[in-house]
Amino acid sequence: MNVVTRHRRLDAIWASERGFRGWFSTVNHTDLGRMFLVTSFFFFIIGGILAMLIRAQLATPDSAFAGPDIYNQIFTMHGTIMMFLFAIPAFEGLAIYLLPKILGTRDLAFPRLTAYGYWCYVFGGSMLLVAMLLGIAPDSGWFMYTPLSNAIYSPGINTDFWLIGITFVEISAIAAAAEICVSILKFRAPGMTLAKMPIFAWYALVTALMILTGFPPLILGSILLEVERAFGFPFFQVELGGDSLLWQHLFWLFGHPEVYIIFLPAAGIVSTVLPVMCRTTLIGYGWIVAAIVALAFLSFGLWVHHMFTTGIPHMGLAFFSAASTLVAVPTAVQLFAWIGTMWKGRPELHLPMLHIMGFFATFVIGGLTGVMVAMVPFNWQVHDTAFITAHLHYVLFGGFVFPVFAGIYYWLPHVSGRKRFFRLGEFAFWLIFVGFHVTFFAMHWVGLLGQRRRIDTYTPEDGWTLINLISSVGSFVLSIGIAMVLLDVILHVLSSRKIRRNPWQAGTLDWAMMTPPPSYNFASLPHVDSRHPLADNPALPVRLAQGHGYLGTPRADWRETLMVDAATGRPEAHVIYPANTRLPILMSAVTGIFFLGLLLKTYWMVPIGMVGVAGLALRWVWMLGRRDDLGAQHVGQGVILPHASATDRSPGWWGSLFLMFANATLFGCLLFGFAFLWTVAPGWPPLVRFEPSFIELGVGVAAALGTALALRVAMAAVRNARATLPALGIALTGAVVFGACCAVMLWRAPPPVDHAYAATLFVLGSYGLFHAVLIVLMTGHLIARVWQGYTSPARRSEFAVVSLWGDYVAVIGSLVLLVGHLSGLSL
Amino acid sequence: MKDLVRILIAPLVWLAAFSAVYGLHGVICGFAVDGTVFGLSLARVLLVTAYVLAILVQVVLLWALYQDRFSSASVFVNFVGRASGWVGVIAAVWTMLPAVLTTYCG
Repeated sequence: MNVVTRHRRLDAIWASERGFRGWFSTVNHTDLGRMFLVTSFFFFIIGGILAMLIRAQLATPDSAFAGPDIYNQIFTMHGTIMMFLFAIPAFEGLAIYLLPKILGTRDLAFPRLTAYGYWCYVFGGSMLLVAMLLGIAPDSGWFMYTPLSNAIYSPGINTDFWLIGITFVEISAIAAAAEICVSILKFRAPGMTLAKMPIFAWYALVTALMILTGFPPLILGSILLEVERAFGFPFFQVELGGDSLLWQHLFWLFGHPEVYIIFLPAAGIVSTVLPVMCRTTLIGYGWIVAAIVALAFLSFGLWVHHMFTTGIPHMGLAFFSAASTLVAVPTAVQLFAWIGTMWKGRPELHLPMLHIMGFFATFVIGGLTGVMVAMVPFNWQVHDTAFITAHLHYVLFGGFVFPVFAGIYYWLPHVSGRKRFFRLGEFAFWLIFVGFHVTFFAMHWVGLLGQRRRIDTYTPEDGWTLINLISSVGSFVLSIGIAMVLLDVILHVLSSRKIRRNPWQAGTLDWAMMTPPPSYNFASLPHVDSRHPLADNPALPVRLAQGHGYLGTPRADWRETLMVDAATGRPEAHVIYPANTRLPILMSAVTGIFFLGLLLKTYWMVPIGMVGVAGLALRWVWMLGRRDDLGAQHVGQGVILPHASATDRSPGWWGSLFLMFANATLFGCLLFGFAFLWTVAPGWPPLVRFEPSFIELGVGVAAALGTALALRVAMAAVRNARATLPALGIALTGAVVFGACCAVMLWRAPPPVDHAYAATLFVLGSYGLFHAVLIVLMTGHLIARVWQGYTSPARRSEFAVVSLWGDYVAVIGSLVLLVGHLSGLSL
Repeated sequence: MKDLVRILIAPLVWLAAFSAVYGLHGVICGFAVDGTVFGLSLARVLLVTAYVLAILVQVVLLWALYQDRFSSASVFVNFVGRASGWVGVIAAVWTMLPAVLTTYCG
């Protein structure tokens, strides 16, 4: 088969539908990555316009540009959009577009999940935009602190838009994070060991793990606050045993790691682009990997430094102050590695390099003011002033936007296959750099003079007029610069010249393909022997195009790729992806019905949404099944592999593992919240408690454990070609009994509106019940599969997935019942 | 997965220990734990014991990461694992040092 024939056949298999209809059915990572990026930059522009409105308001004293009500909406939406609808989705977009290319494979682990995540992001983000257009946008600040955000002080629908819209968007982040973890660990080019992974993959892996750990506390907090607002469960109401500080803990358990979740992918861009700009390789690869792992963990020990003024005892303050200073060390390790790389190489001042230099100058200043605010006495002085606003913009704009612009200009030729013609970008850079520093340096200054953040106006007597005017002028210069970048990109797409492959002479696999990239990335998959495969073997792209790698011969209409061992990169299994489908957009729309029902208090829509999602989810997994065994497949290079469904560790198993990790974090936060309220909140222990029953406890725990055991027996049975239905029947019965025990706990608990204790028990019981229903559905699905002849020893992977969930439910189910019943004991 | 565990274990244990010591501090202040042991404040004894235990666990982990028995076949994984082992030890000593130095419920 010649190169052109291979290209045509692969493109016919992998391409999205032509025209705009393809947007709704595509599951291709290149298309979805571009869609994510374009959408995130659309939100970036809206967030930027809101920032200009803020600066217009503050440019002069006693400003009548916007009243306080509208101003509150403007700054809340600015923060919300930039954090949730721009920064995180921009990372997701870049990772979705780039990872399969840089890892030497054809797509991410779960293409339909990529599409589902994208549409959840679009629909959730649209909810917030609609609220803004209707003048009912969230207005309690992007931290949404209670009690300001509770139903007493914010009675309208504004806050509900935030809680529900953001939770909807976060589905996208969790989906992308689980997918990124599995893709990096299991969907790499054969031979690519952990030591040979491109550095961007390490950054993306650590960031994705942080999302899985960091986002669940906020999801839980949003659920609790929305339940409090809608039904009066008093989680954060101090007079009924709640505590508003619980919200702050949950929010900042997410919020501080979020800063690093935003910074780390940007640092990944710097670590990837900088060596190419310096014509060398990255110094200290191992040190950088250790540093980002350290940074990730340390970042979870800092959250209380946002709460230094809440009256926490000295020792608590000192723990978090110490951790906040320590986090500077791994950041510095990376900076020194980058400086060393520049020292070793021959830096060339191309446009991406200009933005990297802008990143260095800005981020280092932001880091240093970060060490300043880590000191408790200084923090007390500047808390909630414009100094903090300036600091966070130095960190986030310096640490994210400059590197992202570097990345845009670096990978733009990859996306478009064209070379820049106009030179607007350099001029735009200087406008952005100067405009940014004028804006936010002035903001440090006025903050030190005492200007509070989020004030809608000030008087001439405050003495802040000139500084604010300078800051506002700077912000408009900055905005003009960003507008010029957008113009530059549009001109690039419309009018530039075609380029040859790999214009930067980079060494990573993303440049070992045609540009713009074909739908299938690589005509055949490479075998990787070094960290810089393209630099070490410049002939690699041609050899791959000629089909000299793995899976070089297209078969049937299969979208094929390989799964590898996570550590060694040894090929493990053959994977066939699902084709284009509108199921993801349909499922996200039905998910939207669920959220819309909650938002509009039209609760009859909620069960419709839930049943719809469950039905579509079953359809989703049913489509992957086969009634015949595929058998081992020749994948090229003399390697024969089993299909992934013939293994116990299929992509679905790995995806479930990471999803479970996020789920366990949410559950852990719920237990933490319970312990926090019991320990710290006034009005505890509650006067009326749950009456424990050791019979219900024993039966429930035995049922949960029995379900897990039965599912394991079923897994062993299918592997040995024995009958599985008896074990599955026992598992189903066990799950029903466990669910009944949770339901009885809910039924017998004190009314959840009376006290935070009863409210928390209600959430615990509901969590257990939800998982019981999940296991019933999963087991029912397996029974239907067996019934219809979809299972065999070579088609057994779904048993391992359900068994994994059974194990999880056994653990959390036992804990739910233990905590519920034991909390009722009066000791 | 074992290689990932080698890389992640020490900082993960630090995070657990840090949270536990902070939780212990919360319990001590929340339930007004007082009393003395051998003439020393019970609260301080508990906090210092937890601090020392957290450091000991990290030292044991670091020791294990240097043993052939627990090593990976990959030189790179051993390097990163040991580096993060040192991160765990340093983080445990530094971030929980206030358990020894500052007032606990003031």
